[in-house]
Amino acid sequence: MRTVITIIALLGAVVGLQAMQERRQPLGLPPGVTGNVLYVRSPEFMRRAALSYHALLADVYWIRTIQHYGGTKLAHDANKQYDLLYPLLDLTTSLDPYFDIAYGFGSLFLAEPYPAGPGRPDLSIVLLQKAMRAQPDKWRFREDLGFVYYWWLHDFVTAADWFGRASELPGAPNWLKPLAAVTLAQGGNLASSRTLWTEVFNTADVDWLRTQARFRLSQLDATDEITALERVVQAYRARTGSLPQSWTDVIRAGYLTAPPADPAEYPLQLDPASGTVTLARDSTLNPLPMTQAPATPAR
Amino acid sequence: MRVIRHVAVNVFKESVRDKVLYSLVVFAVLLISISYLIGQLTAGQDMKIIKDLGLASISLFGLLIAIFIGIGLVWKEVEQRSIYALLSKPMSRSEFVVGKYCGLVLTLLINVAVMTIAFYALLAYINRVVDPAIKLSWPAPAVDPAMLKAIVLIMIELMLVTAIALFFSTFSSPFLSAILTIGLWVIGHFNDDLRNIGGVLGSRAAALIARGLYYVLPNFSAFDVKAQVVHGQAVPLGYVGLTSLYGITYLALVLVGAVAIFSRRDFK
Amino acid sequence: MDAISTESLTKHYTVGFWRPRPYLALDGLTLQVGQGEVFGFLGPNGAGKTTTLKLLMQLIYPTSGRAAILGKPVGDIGVKRRIGYLPEQPYFYDYLTAQELLEYFAALFGYAPAERRRRATALLDEVGIAGERRLPLRKFSKGMLQRVGIAQALINDPEVVFLDEPMSGLDPLGRREIRHLILRLRDRGCTVFFSSHVLADAEALCSRVAILVNGHLATAGKLSDILAFKVRGWELVVSGLTDAALQQAERQGHVTGATRLGESRYALELPLTPAPEQILAGLMAQGAQLVTLNPLRDTLEDVFVRQVSGASDPATSLGAGAPRMGPA
Repeated sequence: MRTVITIIALLGAVVGLQAMQERRQPLGLPPGVTGNVLYVRSPEFMRRAALSYHALLADVYWIRTIQHYGGTKLAHDANKQYDLLYPLLDLTTSLDPYFDIAYGFGSLFLAEPYPAGPGRPDLSIVLLQKAMRAQPDKWRFREDLGFVYYWWLHDFVTAADWFGRASELPGAPNWLKPLAAVTLAQGGNLASSRTLWTEVFNTADVDWLRTQARFRLSQLDATDEITALERVVQAYRARTGSLPQSWTDVIRAGYLTAPPADPAEYPLQLDPASGTVTLARDSTLNPLPMTQAPATPAR
Repeated sequence: MRVIRHVAVNVFKESVRDKVLYSLVVFAVLLISISYLIGQLTAGQDMKIIKDLGLASISLFGLLIAIFIGIGLVWKEVEQRSIYALLSKPMSRSEFVVGKYCGLVLTLLINVAVMTIAFYALLAYINRVVDPAIKLSWPAPAVDPAMLKAIVLIMIELMLVTAIALFFSTFSSPFLSAILTIGLWVIGHFNDDLRNIGGVLGSRAAALIARGLYYVLPNFSAFDVKAQVVHGQAVPLGYVGLTSLYGITYLALVLVGAVAIFSRRDFK
Repeated sequence: MDAISTESLTKHYTVGFWRPRPYLALDGLTLQVGQGEVFGFLGPNGAGKTTTLKLLMQLIYPTSGRAAILGKPVGDIGVKRRIGYLPEQPYFYDYLTAQELLEYFAALFGYAPAERRRRATALLDEVGIAGERRLPLRKFSKGMLQRVGIAQALINDPEVVFLDEPMSGLDPLGRREIRHLILRLRDRGCTVFFSSHVLADAEALCSRVAILVNGHLATAGKLSDILAFKVRGWELVVSGLTDAALQQAERQGHVTGATRLGESRYALELPLTPAPEQILAGLMAQGAQLVTLNPLRDTLEDVFVRQVSGASDPATSLGAGAPRMGPA
């Protein structure tokens, strides 16, 4: 009986100390410094050191990748860095070149502009090129590469080229060839963007990707809505000869039944001077991506 | 207490005559040769590699000793039946277990002490012969007393591993004990990931289990401050103290368990 | 106070992993051994002798029942100071020398270093391996290890000594030495409890014995009592016996068995009655000559074998029903 009590007491002490330690972690190290997460930087060394357990170790680094990304994204630090995201992804994929979800995650989130990501589409490209070297027959990576040029770099010629190359590989979906053609002809357009993001949404294995795709699709929906509403405003002007002063005018004229809101339920704003429709300033869908005019890449 | 002391000394005698301590010579030679080569290649710039190698060797050799002697500590006596005569002498079974434990800890302590001295001697030598300009690029001095913090924590870690190996040795064969001990050590090193895995797992129940395990399983990764001291980052004494306390509490828990199991055994 | 006493001491094992079966190693052993006795604990292999000794040393725990040594329950550390134990087929630490082993054990009793050395040296001398005391134990033969085992059992001048097969591994000379040692212990007032299946030793040394068969106590008591009524006949060796005389004696029922030893030389078995002198006179009248005449007694072996094979002899007044005997 005495033994049992001793064991329970010691177990309690152990758990208590562990909890205390957890609260004091990390070791008072300034945020953004490497600590223990990435003791080894060289993928070459890691692959050798892992012996036959590289796949398992890849999983461990994958978990750390997600944790690093999520942790940094949620942090309120003004100086937060995603500086480990690429090295972790590089390690994960060096240990396991078939870790497709890692490539997909990397290609998307490496390019995300600050503060949601490091804003480095160039690193996405490097990662995807590595993917293509490891698995040259996968249409997905070529499509992803085209995606990066399309969405982030607005280089529609290169994007179309990669979509075309992707469509040649076995298993490629049949919307890739027309997508290549349209992109080449018209540059960025809503339909193509929607196709690409829908593809991401349907094939995402990880919550992060799905959430991101849903977000983007909502943004595209909002853009569609805005376009449609602007047409309504023009129609109103055509009928009445002047721009509506508020949504009430439009509703009274019978074009709408209620004040419109974006897919995130924030009310859309009408500018009475120009007739343009925009998102509410605090809408979570801000900023809407520009799919037509080329924007300067993040870096 | 007298009994514990004598049993412990006997374990130490056995390890000496078992030529375990010759591994020290291997360590010293290995370290010196590799460090010398590195010194030649990099003109003294890679103090980091030398320190990393030294600390890792101390940790690794210590671990090998702790595990491979620990798993046989009790099992061998029972298997060879030398324990029959021993237990008929005026000692309790708990004194036997604790004595065995202290003996192996003593062996480890001496091993680690000698390796540490050799290591610091090597660093002092390098410090003397290297160009002062290169020394400026080092994040921490060659003969850095802060490394002792890492070594103290390594020692506590080894004491905990020994306790675990001894625990398994009270009831299972060396092969199984080795696997279980090494398994716990590996899992303990990924303890931090266990904490975070909740964010990646689907089911809430699995996340809760993972969290529970994180608290209960030995957190070996906490003892590893090698990277920090090599980079010259401050390791607060409070951290060393708290982690040591954790280690000692945990090994006490394991020893109580080992004594409890051993006291109830029939020796067929 | 008895040196050793047990009360319904029982040990069950479960054998087998998938379908555990109970195995009764010892069943309700009740026994007393008085101080100063030399007590022989006998039985065939697997009878439960070593189990009993291990229970007394608390190397295993009883399923039920109790045991006490010098009035205290087994395992009492104070009592351990006053006893010694020789395990069956002893094995010690290879890497120690005989001297070091004994000094180690002596240290466990708390003797000062000088005293440890003195005791170790003296005992190794007494068991006859003084010359090898600085040899590592891994170099010892079985017989030498046995002697070391006996030495370590005596390191603390115990009041009660438990010996499990003390003669095993020893040559005849060694056996004789150990026999003398046990007698010396008895003379010093030590209680000696030993298990054996070498019955000759038990006959020579013990004042009381117990016979254990299949975990049960078959019989126990003073040796003299167990063997008391056992003169069952005579052995007569004669020379110069003619075939005719032999046949006549056989027909008369005077001779129950005959073994030819040589030219008209026979070893004859004579029944209890008529008196052997009469039968001898009759044969001498026909020209035979006496060589030897000896009573035929049951040896302990005969008792033993009979107990083991399950036959109960009413002539043994101590059957399985009355195992308890007072101290000698």
